[in-house]
Amino acid sequence: MSERPESAGKGEVFDPGSIRRPFAILNRDLAWLDNAATTQRPEPVLKAMDQFYRLHNANTRRSVHRLGAEATAAYEGARAAVAAFIGAKSPAEIVFTGGTTASINLAVAGFARWEIGPGDEVWVSAMEHHSNWVPWQEAVKGVGASLKVIPLTSDGRLDLAAFRKGLSAHRAKWVAATWVSNVLGAANDVRAICAAAHAAGARVLVDGAQGVAHLPADVAAMDCDFFAFSGHKMYGPMGIGALWGRGELLEQMHPSIFGGEMIARVDEQTSTWAEVPYRFEGGTPHVAGAVGLAAAIEWVRALPPAAHEHVANLAREAAERLAALKDVRVWGPAEGRVSLVSFSVKGVHAHDVAQVLDSRGIAVRAGHMCAQPLMRRLGIESAVRASFAPYNTTDEIRRLLEGVRAAQELFT
Amino acid sequence: MNDIYQATLLAHAKNPHGAGRVPAGSEDAEALNTACGDEIRLKLSWTSGGGLERMTYELHGCAVSMASASMAARRLEGMLPSEIATMAAAFAARLGHAGFAEEWGDFQAFNGIEKYPARIHCAMLVWQALEKALANKRNEK
Repeated sequence: MSERPESAGKGEVFDPGSIRRPFAILNRDLAWLDNAATTQRPEPVLKAMDQFYRLHNANTRRSVHRLGAEATAAYEGARAAVAAFIGAKSPAEIVFTGGTTASINLAVAGFARWEIGPGDEVWVSAMEHHSNWVPWQEAVKGVGASLKVIPLTSDGRLDLAAFRKGLSAHRAKWVAATWVSNVLGAANDVRAICAAAHAAGARVLVDGAQGVAHLPADVAAMDCDFFAFSGHKMYGPMGIGALWGRGELLEQMHPSIFGGEMIARVDEQTSTWAEVPYRFEGGTPHVAGAVGLAAAIEWVRALPPAAHEHVANLAREAAERLAALKDVRVWGPAEGRVSLVSFSVKGVHAHDVAQVLDSRGIAVRAGHMCAQPLMRRLGIESAVRASFAPYNTTDEIRRLLEGVRAAQELFT
Repeated sequence: MNDIYQATLLAHAKNPHGAGRVPAGSEDAEALNTACGDEIRLKLSWTSGGGLERMTYELHGCAVSMASASMAARRLEGMLPSEIATMAAAFAARLGHAGFAEEWGDFQAFNGIEKYPARIHCAMLVWQALEKALANKRNEK
């Protein structure tokens, strides 16, 4: 892995060029500022997946031949890498899924829905992505339970005081909260959310999708019950992600994908399940994806602290410079931006801003960002989002600002 | 860039014909662009002769959707429902494919939109609302 960035100590000037090199796609004339939607993948990730298919491809766990053993070793090695990456006690606590959405749905269908009943309350935060909102709507539907929303403070953080006050020790069953908002950009105090929820007897599922690429993940320190994330937002492949659950909870969780790989014994009328976590992974797994995810984890872990500081600095600088523009409103708290900034341009629709930016080779996200309830609370239909990775540069922020000004000139 | 934001399109987007308030609940039809959350509420009034007297819409949308609605509001005035339906079908068939010949007037601004497939939905938004409004009108009879 010669492409791995050389480590730089805190305070040293960080050179994004050293990070950029293994990302062939960035050689296109492109400022990729849509990392919160999906990052690009470095060469070691692509190579790991390529080599799996070229040299080791086989189905896992059920093959006697040597390739089967190699594929199984690669897949289980990836599971161990994920476990170590997020501070799980054991690889058995890691369920591979298709991504964050699949992980959340698995936890809701296999666990939450079995214990939510009449009079129960499920809390979601106002800044949840649809993927951590809609499954909970479905979970309370038709069983006499209700959905409660952790509101926002005026500066765009979660109002934890209101949450604590509204939590009912008798009724609260589940709390769904995002680690880092995909719109507002700041990290939530998930540890405080978990403490309050647990004190009320509720369980917590944390959506880690926007955090894992940028912040050290530690499910034990968070003290959450379930944690979901995707590979593709952290330089890994699309189509792979993981659900972590406390070991004792996964033992109680019901499988919801039935078929091959997940069984112990099948009789004509009934079946028994394989052990955890295999019982949740029905069907042939995405082995190449898991291998790519493991390579991405290795790549992220090798990033110097300065790379993460660089990303936070880019987000802060972009937010400050955008906010200084006339008729531009920046959303979310001023302090504590992890990696992104969302903004609105008065009189110019987000899609039109994004289209003008695209014509200048700048890729941003525009729209509701899969957070329509949050958008409504902010009083907007859509916004523009620039999101950063270590390979982005200050010059790309300059281009972003020039593009925003060009959009203003064109439309106003 | 100028393919999509031509002067004609910008002129409509900045001063849209027919844009106005259509309070929720008073519309004849609404349509939603699920990709971005943009929405339009449409109200049609008809002359005693059965032609379109006025099309009013409240649109929260981008320049492309706004221009499309504005062009439609101007073009469709006076047309019978059957003529509007024919035009809607022709518009949908041409947008992003054969494009618009001279007789389509301002709609020629959408020629070249095929290079921006994500924006085809934006140009279609008003037409989806129109088709729904016509269907609702037929069902009322």
